[in-house]
Amino acid sequence: MSSNGSIALWPWTKGARRAAGNSGRNQLWTALLFLLPAAAAVVVIRLWPALSALHASLWDTRREVYNVLNYSYIFTDQVFLGSLRTTLLFSLIINPLQIGLALALALLLHAKLPAVGLWRTLIVLPIAIPQSVSAVVWGIAYRPDGLLNSALATIGVDPQRFLTSPEQALPSIIVLLSWVGVGYWMTFLIAGLKDIPASLYEAARIDGLNSWQQFWYVTLPQLRRPLTFVLIAATTANFLIFAPVQILTSGGPQQTTNLIMNEIYVRAFQTGDIGAASAATVVLVSVVLFVVAIQFRIMSRMGGGDE
Amino acid sequence: MSKNVAIIAVKTCAAVTLALLFLLPLWWVAVSAFRPEADIFKYLSPLSVWTFLPNDPNWTNFQRLFSGAFGTAIMNSIIVAAVTVAVGLVICAGAAFALAVMEFPAKNAIFAAMVISFLIPFDAIAVPLYGMMRQAELQNTYIGLILPGIGNGLAIFSLRQFFLGIPKTLREAALVDGLSWWAIFTRIYLPLSGPALVGAGLILFVFQWQAYLWPLLIAPNPRYAVASVAIAQFSNSFGVEYGPIFAGALVISLIPMIVIAVLQRYFTASVAASGSKE
Repeated sequence: MSSNGSIALWPWTKGARRAAGNSGRNQLWTALLFLLPAAAAVVVIRLWPALSALHASLWDTRREVYNVLNYSYIFTDQVFLGSLRTTLLFSLIINPLQIGLALALALLLHAKLPAVGLWRTLIVLPIAIPQSVSAVVWGIAYRPDGLLNSALATIGVDPQRFLTSPEQALPSIIVLLSWVGVGYWMTFLIAGLKDIPASLYEAARIDGLNSWQQFWYVTLPQLRRPLTFVLIAATTANFLIFAPVQILTSGGPQQTTNLIMNEIYVRAFQTGDIGAASAATVVLVSVVLFVVAIQFRIMSRMGGGDE
Repeated sequence: MSKNVAIIAVKTCAAVTLALLFLLPLWWVAVSAFRPEADIFKYLSPLSVWTFLPNDPNWTNFQRLFSGAFGTAIMNSIIVAAVTVAVGLVICAGAAFALAVMEFPAKNAIFAAMVISFLIPFDAIAVPLYGMMRQAELQNTYIGLILPGIGNGLAIFSLRQFFLGIPKTLREAALVDGLSWWAIFTRIYLPLSGPALVGAGLILFVFQWQAYLWPLLIAPNPRYAVASVAIAQFSNSFGVEYGPIFAGALVISLIPMIVIAVLQRYFTASVAASGSKE
């Protein structure tokens, strides 16, 4: 890149250019040295395993040829299809739920209230805890004689089965994960709310809009960037949920919590079917990258529109 | 005016109630951690003030926790996280420096390739990576635990962003003075980037502290178990020991909170500083 805008520095930009020219040949090699460890990490820790999953999913160990038998197998296997359905259902519930709650919290805690920073911090706190720890703690709270049933008893509700009930197990995991994640998504939305110019609300008030109309016509459209970001980030994060399922339910009861990461884990380490596990891995990575690609498209289009 | 006060009062009440609701599980963990194991379920039903207040706080659960394998697991977690942050910062800052400051062919393509590769979710490829690392005999080693954390796309991205903001004239002058790129990196860029390095370090730390699937796979030997895995195994084993589980949950949760609370100051300071500069 040329050194534009440095006319005042003219006497020595010339020198600088000469110096850069001298090192120009070496600069590529020096740059490669700086880049090498990170590039190696990317290759070894992301690309190679992804390619090896692709290879293992297509390689037929018996006939020693490439084919799509692993894919045709998993896409006709009831357990895998059930896992896909469960993951889809889970996504369709947890993402709108978390984002709706995060938005409501952001609107409440964006206001100038006494000690508002403290209330925000308390709601964000759970994200700092490893998910496995949250799962263990909530697992104890969900026990038949646990915290939740005794809380329900005080309001006269019969004890619930929570994690051992096919109807309640997935909702129970959704509640625990929302406790973990909602505060985190809230922080992005609060940042977005801060960026909305106050003049827009003034104009809306002058036009006689009530607070609901202001939310609908000013706040929501202005929040679409952070909302899109949070939607995509939550979607990808929630595709990868593993610890709570593995620790609390192992995918049960009756496969009702068998999210795709647990399915891959079981295939690889309990059934020992590496081919099917790899095919499922490729499906998962593709879905996640597809969602991220959509994010980039939407965000860049929005960016172009805004500026 | 009085209507505004009423609105603020209602909103504050709602905020306090919600915040306490979110705090409740954690509070319960803390109280149970300081309670004799036999009392944990005793005070649970019926619900009373003593469910959420310690009546006879003591350290027994912690003594039991650290006399067992959990002490090793916490130490392992700290070692893994500390080495990851130290090595990861050097690697990520180096890459970010080259991508932000140096001139070489296909720079933008390399940057894009790197960012896109890091978008492959790590947990999704943990199973094939485990197969590779087992072949490399990195099972049950610190290296096996640490390796996945040292290269982090988000850390590289945020450091590059910060380095781009450091005036070009600084390095041009340094080049004229005959400084090597390494010297420019270590003597000019790194010292100017304290807050950005803290932020990137936090990203690296949180990645390792939260990790569950990878340490579960790569370190089945209890000698190399990390805290997030050890606590789950406590709760899966027969004859669950609830006292140590609560004590362990409290310790694992408090460490990142302390780290973040201490480093938060750097964050706000850096934001204030960059604000006044502009």
